[in-house]
Amino acid sequence: MSALSLRDVSVTLGGTTVLERTSVDLDARRIAIIGENGSGKSTLARVIGGLVTPSSGHVLVHGVDAVRDLRLLRRRIAVVFSNPDAQIIMPTVAEDVAFSLRADKLPRQVVAERVATALEDFGLAALAGRSAHELSGGQKQLLALCGAFIRSPELVIADEPTALLDARNARNVAAHLLERQGHRLVLVTHDLALAARCDEAVLVESGRIGVVGAPDEVIAAYERSLVC
Amino acid sequence: MLSLYQPGHGLLHRMPAGSKALALAVAVLALSFLPSSWWAAGVAAAVAPLGYAVAGLGVGVLFRQVYALRWLLAVTLGVQLLFVAPEAATANTSRVLATILLASLLVLTTRIADLLDAVERLLAPTARWGLDPQRASLLLSITITTVPVLARLGSGVREAQRARGAPANLARFVIPFLVVSLKHADELGEALTARGLR
Repeated sequence: MSALSLRDVSVTLGGTTVLERTSVDLDARRIAIIGENGSGKSTLARVIGGLVTPSSGHVLVHGVDAVRDLRLLRRRIAVVFSNPDAQIIMPTVAEDVAFSLRADKLPRQVVAERVATALEDFGLAALAGRSAHELSGGQKQLLALCGAFIRSPELVIADEPTALLDARNARNVAAHLLERQGHRLVLVTHDLALAARCDEAVLVESGRIGVVGAPDEVIAAYERSLVC
Repeated sequence: MLSLYQPGHGLLHRMPAGSKALALAVAVLALSFLPSSWWAAGVAAAVAPLGYAVAGLGVGVLFRQVYALRWLLAVTLGVQLLFVAPEAATANTSRVLATILLASLLVLTTRIADLLDAVERLLAPTARWGLDPQRASLLLSITITTVPVLARLGSGVREAQRARGAPANLARFVIPFLVVSLKHADELGEALTARGLR
């Protein structure tokens, strides 16, 4: 069985079919999803992450049915979005990271230790007591990653995580996403250089899977489709 | 209430969040029973500085809180002066100021996580009637966190309008502000789901 398996998945939102009878099996550790704006790539990632319920079809993520066992799935995955502002839930940096562990009801000391380690890992230790909303865009996105990774997720879904960042911050965020071990990554991106660093890529075209394969082949197919 | 936790080791910092909230609530209740007189205005005006001194928070912190409330105080005092005697207007305004400053003390001396734990414990008995204490405490936290975000969204809308040469107009501001606020609410909902909270 593949790590991520979609069978005849369709998604209709507000009367519009965003994904149409999509079937795909993905096994690579780092998977890039590319395609034009409105092609359905974010919806595909959201379906895999259990954030969007398919109108029909079956989605299996690491053997978990994304519709029937949604709670179990959500415990195993983490999602990072492009807008870091919308991902901040608690006032300070440390509190926001600790919030990700709240559902686990861990002892306070354990939470404090894990938060300190995670902040250190992401270079945010010096900002622990700072107001999360006063951070720069790059720092906020690192905070979002820190909040995602502290839960040790099996699967991380990142929807254009570098879209609003400058080159230095984008590089930093990409390094954390692509070079950390221990999780599978589904990366939705317009940055083809980032997609090229993944192990497998998926091209989504008009709500359907276009090409699946090695990133350089899929990117080449995408670029050919852009030539008028 | 929008102020953030200020680290410290004062008496209020060391108090458990629940007991502290209760003590501050009692103080606020006592203030509300004071008569509308000059001496009551003096008492109300003295309570908050005393509380901030006990908490070990500096004068600067207190001043920032009062400064943030300047327009509210001006409106409260101004409107009351139209209808009641200066003595009652001053006493009432002092009580409002003291109440808000005492409420701020709770947030200034309590980590949000401790506050959420206290709210969850307080609301735990309501679970038998179907209320989810975790959600209620989450609502409190999000309310505190979202206000600066809404302020930023509002300023973004005003900037966008100015960039197009539109004059300042409340009616023209409200609709786009509501739209961006609702979009933010959607995104926040997704972020909560993504953190395994729905």
